[in-house]
Amino acid sequence: MTPLRRRSLLAGLVAGAAATRRAAAAETIHVGVSGPLTGPNAQYGAQWKDAFDLALAEVNPAAQRQIQYVFEDSQSDPRQSVAIAQKFVNDQRIVMELGDFSSPASMAASPIYQRAKLVQFGFTNSHPDFTKGGDYMWSNSISQAEEQPQLADFAIAGLGKRRLGVIHLNTDWGVTSKNLFAAAAKEKGAEVAAAEGFLPGERDFRSTLVRIRDSNPDCIVLLAYYADAATIVRQIRTLGLPQAIVAVSSVYSPKLLELGGDAVNGVHVITTFFPDEPRAEVQRFVAAFRAKYNREPDTFNATAYDTMILASTLVNQFGATRAAVREGLAKVRGVPSVVFGSMQFDPNTRRVEGARYKRLVVKDGRFTLWS
Amino acid sequence: MAPVLEVRGLRKRFGGVTAVEDAALDLREGELLSIIGPNGAGKTTLFNLVSGLDRPDTGSVRLFGQDVTGAAPERLAGLGLARTFQHGRVFGNLSVLDNVLVGAHARLRAVRPAVPVLGPLLELALAAIRPGGVRAEEAALREDAIRIISLFGERLTPRLDHPAFSLSYANRRRVEIGRALALHPRLLLLDEPTAGMNETETAEMQEVVAGLKRSGLTILLIEHKLEMVMRLSDRVIVMDNGRRIAEGLPQAVRHDPAVIEAYLGHREAGAAREPVP
Amino acid sequence: MGGAWFDYTVNGFVIGNIYALLAVGLALIYGVANLVNFAHGSVYVVGAYVGWAAITYLDTPLPVTLLCVVAVSALVGVGIERIGLRPLHGSSRIAPLLATIGIALVLDQVVQLVFTPDPRAVPMQVPEWRVAVGGGTIGALDLLIAGIGLTSAVVLYGFLRFTKLGWAVRATAQDSDAAQQMGVDVNRVNMAVFAIASALSGVSGVLVGMYYNQISTAMSFEATLKGIVALIIGGLGNVPGAIAGSLILGLTESYGIALFGTSYRNLFAFVLLIAMLVWRPNGLFAARRALPPEPMTGTFIARSRPVVVPRWAVAALVVAAALLPLLGQPYLLQIGANSLMYAMLALSLTLVAGTVGQVSLGHAALLAIGGYASGLLAMDAGWPVALSIPAAGLVTAALGTLLVFPAFRLTGHYVSIATLGIGEIVSLVILNWTGLTRGAIGLGGIPPLEVFGFDLGSVEGTYWLCLAVLVLLALLQLRLLRSHLGRTWRAIRDDPVAARSYGVSGDRYKALAFGFGGFAAGISGAITAHVYSYINHETFGASISILALTMVILGGLGNVAGAVLGATLLIALPEAFRFLAEYRILIYGIVLLLLIRFRPQGLMGTV
Repeated sequence: MTPLRRRSLLAGLVAGAAATRRAAAAETIHVGVSGPLTGPNAQYGAQWKDAFDLALAEVNPAAQRQIQYVFEDSQSDPRQSVAIAQKFVNDQRIVMELGDFSSPASMAASPIYQRAKLVQFGFTNSHPDFTKGGDYMWSNSISQAEEQPQLADFAIAGLGKRRLGVIHLNTDWGVTSKNLFAAAAKEKGAEVAAAEGFLPGERDFRSTLVRIRDSNPDCIVLLAYYADAATIVRQIRTLGLPQAIVAVSSVYSPKLLELGGDAVNGVHVITTFFPDEPRAEVQRFVAAFRAKYNREPDTFNATAYDTMILASTLVNQFGATRAAVREGLAKVRGVPSVVFGSMQFDPNTRRVEGARYKRLVVKDGRFTLWS
Repeated sequence: MAPVLEVRGLRKRFGGVTAVEDAALDLREGELLSIIGPNGAGKTTLFNLVSGLDRPDTGSVRLFGQDVTGAAPERLAGLGLARTFQHGRVFGNLSVLDNVLVGAHARLRAVRPAVPVLGPLLELALAAIRPGGVRAEEAALREDAIRIISLFGERLTPRLDHPAFSLSYANRRRVEIGRALALHPRLLLLDEPTAGMNETETAEMQEVVAGLKRSGLTILLIEHKLEMVMRLSDRVIVMDNGRRIAEGLPQAVRHDPAVIEAYLGHREAGAAREPVP
Repeated sequence: MGGAWFDYTVNGFVIGNIYALLAVGLALIYGVANLVNFAHGSVYVVGAYVGWAAITYLDTPLPVTLLCVVAVSALVGVGIERIGLRPLHGSSRIAPLLATIGIALVLDQVVQLVFTPDPRAVPMQVPEWRVAVGGGTIGALDLLIAGIGLTSAVVLYGFLRFTKLGWAVRATAQDSDAAQQMGVDVNRVNMAVFAIASALSGVSGVLVGMYYNQISTAMSFEATLKGIVALIIGGLGNVPGAIAGSLILGLTESYGIALFGTSYRNLFAFVLLIAMLVWRPNGLFAARRALPPEPMTGTFIARSRPVVVPRWAVAALVVAAALLPLLGQPYLLQIGANSLMYAMLALSLTLVAGTVGQVSLGHAALLAIGGYASGLLAMDAGWPVALSIPAAGLVTAALGTLLVFPAFRLTGHYVSIATLGIGEIVSLVILNWTGLTRGAIGLGGIPPLEVFGFDLGSVEGTYWLCLAVLVLLALLQLRLLRSHLGRTWRAIRDDPVAARSYGVSGDRYKALAFGFGGFAAGISGAITAHVYSYINHETFGASISILALTMVILGGLGNVAGAVLGATLLIALPEAFRFLAEYRILIYGIVLLLLIRFRPQGLMGTV
């Protein structure tokens, strides 16, 4: 996003706020967003905003209760997310909270939301302990317990591989994913020959790849985000490793093609969101996103979009109070979703199951359905 | 009785340069021995070797009969050796009083119990709790420090609370000597105590040193102002190029041809501020 | 496996080669200005983005791209010298180092605002041919990077030896005051050096961007860190040493991965750093073992007379603070509680960095130790929180002191770099010691604050607990500062040599300071862990260490009231700047720079 665009976006927000203030007698419902707009994760906050605005432009005009979000920049830093949490729980307008981005920032704020009985909807928090923070912690982030067996199945049943070399991000998300993947692979009769964890920000993977190479895998599995994955795949190719590459859904992004160049051709990816999927929710979302922002959406956009649609559904179906939102999450059925097709929550895990996975392969610099 | 200080065959090289070569000296109780010589003669290096800031390459140093060659300065301070520094090393941000009190550090007993391993923890606890013994010790040291500071007349007494960096050059030298005296040294090493002082100030300082000598303190002095050296010293050692070139009574050394040669030879470098007549 | 070891060696050289471009510039700057330039990695990022912009918007060929990068980076370098170095001549020795940290903050934010934080691909402008070496390949870009590294080292060597300006640079490095008296225009020399070093850094940014086909604004700190480690290995200020140090760092990382796995890579790098600092502080290639003398100009801290706050005012402030919860503003209270937790950390750091002069850049590690100790005691050993928190303070005091012990013999910048390394090591050990710490998963479900059944988990409870603990710690620290320990600590800071000559053992008193400071920081980390309920190895990262140091400088080094004020302001300011949205961290960086420039002794004055 260019600075010019950013400024106009801000101006738009302000204008929108003014418009809704005029219509305050009509129902304007506030949700709080705690997420990074500055700092090392700022790009994700910017992606959220784009998706939120798109979703609200779609649902608000027709809705009886119109949603407006209050975005507070936390830098994804727990110190700031707890202060923001106090701000939100004591702002009686706010009926639901979305975010934060990283698990440490979200989970540090959880006790405050739980105590105040305000739903904290951590839509990127896949940490297995996040929803265990209390019955007000909910998430529609893709469950790795569900995704990793899918990924293992792609590599083992789909591609017929037996010895897997895993490279994973050494974070709560990456380690959880790796453990679940290893268990699933074993169950399906394959072997994890090596598992190497790297730190965020690393750029050089040559020596890691020598270790992977010497474990003689027939397939390399990437549990990473797209930017790191692009770097790793390029180095796999310059080292001349011929193995097939299979990657988790967070690798699916138009940016992978830009950052990876020719090297990412042949990479296999599973994803819950694929713009070429003919499903109506997907096509409507993709078309609207392209029209508004003139670029391709990715999974982060899709999840944020789904989340805002869900928020609107909740307040319109179940009422605009904190208690109603909490009750609504347990009851709501069949919310249209780009990622899941339709969303409902398991009231025990407070997560969504049944994400629809597509298997893709990069061909000639484009993601295409694998068959 | 063993000499206070006994130095034998001391040598120190820095890179290829010999700073001190075969230095030897004996210092008896109550004696004032001066070391003179042009700049770069190795006087300060000799001080550093004796006071533990540098380790000699060879040779030995005995203090009060104990071998202390290469011993750490902390240990030497504990044995009763105090020194001042050529260019002055006061603690700039500490007050005059605190500077002098740091000099008394080695005398702290009540607050620094000699208990192995747990000693430091006890010290921390005692500093926080401050039982009567600790308070009394601190009060006594404070009184002693004020007495020492009053040796310099009205120069420092009105400035007890002033940070050292705000003092004049001469006053900083006085603080440094006061700090050394607070150790209650058995051997005092003074490195150019009158450097940078005018005539009045030099005369005052000379009186102070004379008083210390009268009180029986053993003193090793480096000084360029020969008149002061002649008046105060029991004996004089002359150094040049790291070596001792003469030793003896002040009057004898003064007329030693080797000494005159050394000073005249270095005169153009501006080393000797008071050329030998 | 023989083939694999050959490959690890080649890979080590390849990555070391990249570090070398950074380290050479850092070495040059240190050699002349006696300054570890923490903004070096930021210039590297600026260079990368300038290169990207030139190729993307202007379609420049490689030589023109490099020319653009050199020009802009050199200009930024000149700016750093003008802002971060020249006006600070004669102020406290640590000021320029802090200024470079502030400049890094500002540069990173500006780049992020202009180019957005989204990673970018830098089009490759170097032929893509590769030759097979062992099991891998080496490409034209590897050779170009090595070529630029070596050429710049040779050219710099020649420049320093054989040109008049080079002679002036060396003279300035030896003794800048003397050089000035001899008619060397020291400012011009410094400016030239910053321009050259920054140009190199910028070029390495764009080349490394091409190498990985990716640049992002987040890569600056990592670049600075690796450059500094390489610099220490090669010897501060030693240009050829910097190249050798970089290669050794690359090899160490590569062999570390070979032996123990990828997650141990940085652990090896930082252990090597500490080992070098302890055993060969002048680097591998220095002749002497002793530390070079610190520059004698200026004192350690800025000279000032501290602001004296009358006792009744302090008492009134404490009472007012205690009554704050009655206002019924939980958001304000949460910020208050955060400020108080950070004030405990600042107390600890102001003692260590201000009173004793050991400027620690790894102080957040003490929070991590305290947080994990209390969390694990409460969760795994079932201790009540009221006991686990003080126990965590004691554990942190002991462990923190032991960890820093090897660094006690170091002085000045070396202490800062060593503590930075120790901080990283603590974080990496927490990450890798999965059996104890649960590794990257972190500690979740840490019980909330309570004292023997009395729930303090509410924001009021947290706030009052923090206030009470802080007041106790502050009073205790003031009492220690007024005892013989206060003057002894400050004596060590002002002149360690003179202090030793009066029987003051540096090790003993530094250990006492780190012990007491570790206790305060450990308590702070422990309380934080119980408030957050979840912590992992990233919760207490390097940015918190730098934040804590900023608080201490802002308040006035060594000043207890200043530490509390600094913590309060720096926690409250970013909240107050919220309306500035994306610009608030930029404004914060600028405020920091202005402060270092115009009030180096801090708001309350150094003690």
